[in-house]
Amino acid sequence: MASLTLDKVRKTFGSVEVLKEINLAIEDGEFLVLVGPSGCGKSTLLNLIAGLETSSDGEIRIGDRVINNVHPKDRNIAMVFQSYALYPNMTVRKNITFGLEIRGVSASERDKAVDDVARLLQIENLLDRKPSQLSGGQRQRVAMGRALVRNPDIFLFDEPLSNLDAKLRVDMRTEIKKLHHRLGSTIVYVTHDQIEAMTLASRIAVMKGGILQQFDTPQHIYEKPNNMFVAGFIGSPSMNFIEAKLVDDNGKIAVTFDNNGQKVVLPLLENSPESYKSWVGKDVVFGIRPEGLTHKRTGSDKPGSQYVNFDAKVEVIEPTGADTMTVINLGGKEIVARVRPDRATNPGEMMTFSADMNQISLFDPTTELRI
Amino acid sequence: MADLQTYGQDSGLKHTLLRGLLYLVLILFSIYYLFPLFVMITTSLKSLTEIREGSLISLPRVVTFDAWNYAWNEACVGVECSGIKTFFWNSVQMAIPAVLISTILGALNGYALTKFRFKGANIVFAMLLFGCFVPFQVVLLPMSVTLGKLGIANSTMGLVLVHVVYGLCFTTLFFRNYYVSIPDELVKAATIDGAGFFTIFWRIILPISGPIIVVSIIWQFTQIWNDFLFGASFSSGGSAPMTVALNNIVNTTTGVKQYNVDMASALLTGLPTLLVYVLAGKYFVRGLTAGSVKG
Ligand SMILES: Nc1ncnc2c1ncn2[C@@H]1O[C@H](COP(=O)(O)OP(=O)(O)OP(=O)(O)O)[C@@H](O)[C@H]1O
Ligand SMILES: [Mg+2]
Repeated sequence: MASLTLDKVRKTFGSVEVLKEINLAIEDGEFLVLVGPSGCGKSTLLNLIAGLETSSDGEIRIGDRVINNVHPKDRNIAMVFQSYALYPNMTVRKNITFGLEIRGVSASERDKAVDDVARLLQIENLLDRKPSQLSGGQRQRVAMGRALVRNPDIFLFDEPLSNLDAKLRVDMRTEIKKLHHRLGSTIVYVTHDQIEAMTLASRIAVMKGGILQQFDTPQHIYEKPNNMFVAGFIGSPSMNFIEAKLVDDNGKIAVTFDNNGQKVVLPLLENSPESYKSWVGKDVVFGIRPEGLTHKRTGSDKPGSQYVNFDAKVEVIEPTGADTMTVINLGGKEIVARVRPDRATNPGEMMTFSADMNQISLFDPTTELRI
Repeated sequence: MADLQTYGQDSGLKHTLLRGLLYLVLILFSIYYLFPLFVMITTSLKSLTEIREGSLISLPRVVTFDAWNYAWNEACVGVECSGIKTFFWNSVQMAIPAVLISTILGALNGYALTKFRFKGANIVFAMLLFGCFVPFQVVLLPMSVTLGKLGIANSTMGLVLVHVVYGLCFTTLFFRNYYVSIPDELVKAATIDGAGFFTIFWRIILPISGPIIVVSIIWQFTQIWNDFLFGASFSSGGSAPMTVALNNIVNTTTGVKQYNVDMASALLTGLPTLLVYVLAGKYFVRGLTAGSVKG
């Protein structure tokens, strides 16, 4: 087990810059999730750590050791691929022990290692089958077994669950989490599923177009996204963005936006950042997550409450069971509010909503950065 | 699926008629192609007197393997009258190493071209592809100079070299097209597991290359065994392959024309390729189409 540091790592393919100055550092035992849309360079970054690609610039360290020029087999990493990449001609047992065999581990030790891993992953009864005789979930387990048996410093996972059906994906997600707790190993995990990222990670790196957008704990990324991309990417349903303006409302700073001809004024809380002051009188993007926009809360009428109420016409409702997603239209944009089912109204009716001013984000409309 | 069923029900009669017509055409073509073989076999089993008296397409009245025996052990090739058997062994000694070497090298080339994409891999591949279109005749002269320089002119080894060089383009093409459909992640996984270039090739790539190996072997064996031009150009006398010997037997002008011996010799010459097709034929079609369908 070891820490991992990426220092100003760049990667170009020909003239295309696929990764632009990536700086990341995780401690021993951390679970880092790389998340981002397709083609943003997640796999490339993972391949750089694995040594399957060479970086164009910058330094990669495992522990204190610079590994830029170390062969993949000597980096003491193990990788689980999206396609699992099981060797089709070998049995499950052979698949798991191949790496050990190449490294000259004795047959008796290999047998013991494969038994341990098989017990851990509950694949003891599959050991003599060929990969073609396994289901998707079983293949996934074998692929994990092949990584686990080597007892590496760092595990690399490249979208290991994306080929599984929804139910199995959730189950395996939990198992990977349990496994991480149990082994305490350092893991770098690639996914484009933000829920996977949130549930698994001790820290998340959000990427887009080869640029690291934000690197932080899941909670911090969720609550204080660096920019509109991160805000929209993490969380489901995603954050609402409303074109608004910051104004001075009797000495207090407030966001104001148009609600079908009416002006909604939401005063910000006293503890708002100082930086908001310089934005008074300017356009901003007002970001609020669906759960920050609810039915009328008790106590929201009291002065000084964190909740501010406004009325809007309900367009569509989407019950999910636990909550009813209520869609309203603000300035031509669909805005989703998360409403308790017993407080939901029918489409077409007016309803009072509470905005939780504790859960808001403001963004610069031109740079899209957090204010 | 549903379409097929309704098709079967709605126009059962039409369907049967079309089927019948199809089979008729197929049978006619089969007869057309098999007829020469039939004549060859029957002629080779007749005695010379019967051939002179009977008609070309009649079955032998008395079946005799004398002609086969004569062709194998006694027929005269040039001045040497010890049958075609020594030349059969020449061909075996030429074909087997040439087929194996060109197949292995083709596999290695295809593997390197697809899984270890070095700089200029595409150019190398394009040039190899170009080699497939170079006609036999073009390489004759340069090749004879090369063989002479290497000191292996007029030897079986020389012929092996010629066939390996000429066949490499084709085998590389086969293996390259097969290997592009094998996921790169397999090689990456093995690299992380600690396996090197040749270990990955032997332990992982080659074991899953069965179908394309069969294709390569059948193709190369047929080409090399049936080759006449290279054999006639780069060998002489006792080292000639069977095809060249067959030509000499059939074209011998001295004495009576022994059609039964000619036919037996020709059949003996053709037998090995036939055998390879029968034994490995079903993998041939499978291997040719394997690259095109994933999974
Ligand atoms: N060998 C290569 N040569 C040229 N460009 C490449 C190469 N490999 C990847 N790229 C490019 O680099 C970018 C990042 O690719 P990468 O595979 O890392 O994306 P990703 O984030 O893993 O996407 P996905 O979620 O679809 O797997 C893509 O635009 C891709 O086209
Ligand atoms: Mg990827």
